[in-house]
Amino acid sequence: MIELKSVDKYFYKSQEREVHALRDINLTIQEGEFSVITGPSGCGKTTLLNTIGVLDTIDNGEIYLQNREIANLSSKEKTEIRLKEIGFVFQAYNLIPVLNVEENIGFIMRLQGYSQDTIKARVREIASLLQIEKQLGALPNFLSGGQQQRVAVARAVASKPKIILADEPTANLDSKNSTALMEMMHELNKKEGITILFSSHDDYVIKNARRTILLNDGEIIES
Amino acid sequence: MFSLAIKNILFYKGRSLTTFLLTFVSLYLFIVYVAFMNGSHQSMLQNALNVYTGSFQIYQKEYRSKGGYDYLIRDTRKPLQILADTKGLKAFAPRLETFGIASSKTYSHPIMLTGIDFNREEKLSELKKALTQGEYNTHGACLYMGENLAQKLHLHLGDTLSFVGSAVDYSFVAELFEVCGLFKTGMYEFDSQSAFMNRDYFDTLFFSKNMATYIVAMAENLKHNDAVATKVEKKLPQELQLYRWQTLMKSMVQLMEIDSLFGYISMGLFFIVIFFVIMIYGFININARLREFGVLRSIGVSDNKISLLLLLEILLLTLFAFVFALPLGAYTAYYFQIHPIVIEGMSEMYKSYGVVSDKVPTLFDPLTVFYNSLFLFALNLLSIVYPIYYVRSFTPIEETQHV
Repeated sequence: MIELKSVDKYFYKSQEREVHALRDINLTIQEGEFSVITGPSGCGKTTLLNTIGVLDTIDNGEIYLQNREIANLSSKEKTEIRLKEIGFVFQAYNLIPVLNVEENIGFIMRLQGYSQDTIKARVREIASLLQIEKQLGALPNFLSGGQQQRVAVARAVASKPKIILADEPTANLDSKNSTALMEMMHELNKKEGITILFSSHDDYVIKNARRTILLNDGEIIES
Repeated sequence: MFSLAIKNILFYKGRSLTTFLLTFVSLYLFIVYVAFMNGSHQSMLQNALNVYTGSFQIYQKEYRSKGGYDYLIRDTRKPLQILADTKGLKAFAPRLETFGIASSKTYSHPIMLTGIDFNREEKLSELKKALTQGEYNTHGACLYMGENLAQKLHLHLGDTLSFVGSAVDYSFVAELFEVCGLFKTGMYEFDSQSAFMNRDYFDTLFFSKNMATYIVAMAENLKHNDAVATKVEKKLPQELQLYRWQTLMKSMVQLMEIDSLFGYISMGLFFIVIFFVIMIYGFININARLREFGVLRSIGVSDNKISLLLLLEILLLTLFAFVFALPLGAYTAYYFQIHPIVIEGMSEMYKSYGVVSDKVPTLFDPLTVFYNSLFLFALNLLSIVYPIYYVRSFTPIEETQHV
């Protein structure tokens, strides 16, 4: 489903402070996988997720999503891929502050042009699965961290993307909420068949992932 | 994007309120200011034309460049008939101007003495309304003169003065006149050098029967002056030439243009300040929301949609301000057009500019209001261009990491 071939990524390239963030990354993620990218802070976990999610550019190599090379697409095509193929869950939730929970969850579906009824039904379904149906009318500012993270997951899942990229989703959660989130992600993976790729250094997340990709200093040590 | 724009407007109240108020105040002030400016210009012009100049004048060719008796209209009957046959004219009259020296017992002053038909002038100009003492319609050796001229010659009503000049055949003319009437138009230069007398006696003295320096005419409606003047122009004999008020009052037109220019420059400076304040407020707000734009872009909102969102926000705020400012500004301008502000002594202060009334005139013109609103509207939309460029200059990742 996702294939990275000899991917290199630099920050501040050709400058004195140049950082070689990803070194010759070769990685294949199969459809329906539940994987975690782990490693010490600054090893390149987020950068790897961002390059897979075409949020960031690469300097060398190729990235394939369902056999389509995506790293060298135009900005417009990348936006289209992010909209239709990928769901993002950010460490800091990154919900839209002016929209309530229901609108946040349905936002991507609205962008994709689904009808109001379809959006409403899907939002209710996901909210029920993630146990946030009582918060649908609330603005994000009035939710707890755990609730906001569930909304972020719901938003990522609602439009049924092929893959969810979650960057340290449990970093701001207590252990109870982390457990709940992981269970929920497992269920989504199982029920919806969504490929899930985490970045995390949370032991609980690592233990519960089916596959662990270990990164160190921009290189894959173990996969 | 539309509903998101509305939600953003309601959520970011500080920026919305600032933009709304600034737009409201600028548009309101702009409409009222321009109405006052145009009103005073139109009033100055109307006064000047009504007082004496008329809306167009007919001369023998070359009179205005060479001057003198050699270029008088020798027979006014035909052009007067053309004017009589033309619709859209309020009045017209021939005038014959001559220049000479007027002297009281101890003072002398060059004057412009004009022979006029008092009855025709009554319909044409405001010379009768300008009467302050004595009588308007003089007969025989009787003069109707400007108050300032009388002051210069130390003359009063009923006093005698001598006039020395030249008849149209260049023979010498000398006569004793009585001051029968005094006028004040408010135009200082005019009031300090002009005197009028009845045309019959003027022709006897100056041998000028059926002659004229020029024929003055006033259109019923100044807006239609061009059309009426063109009709007359086509029928005029070749040796005659018609001049519209824009040419006759060139210096006043230029004065008004300069005044308008300075007015617009002042407003322009005001708008530049407003523009930058709106832009800076917008920019601060957008900079604070940069992370939000990063998220939107990350989850699949295109750059164009982000631009559209920002444009919609400013568009809605501007429209909202316009909904209040436009009718209020238009109503204020219209109200003051009907009920002008009166400033005691203003006409005395600005008499040299042709201001003859203490009323501050206002001109409500829907078309001007429309154009001015359009200008401000465009300016407001322009204020979002740089913030849009700024947002688009980052990658989604840079924006989501923005603090």
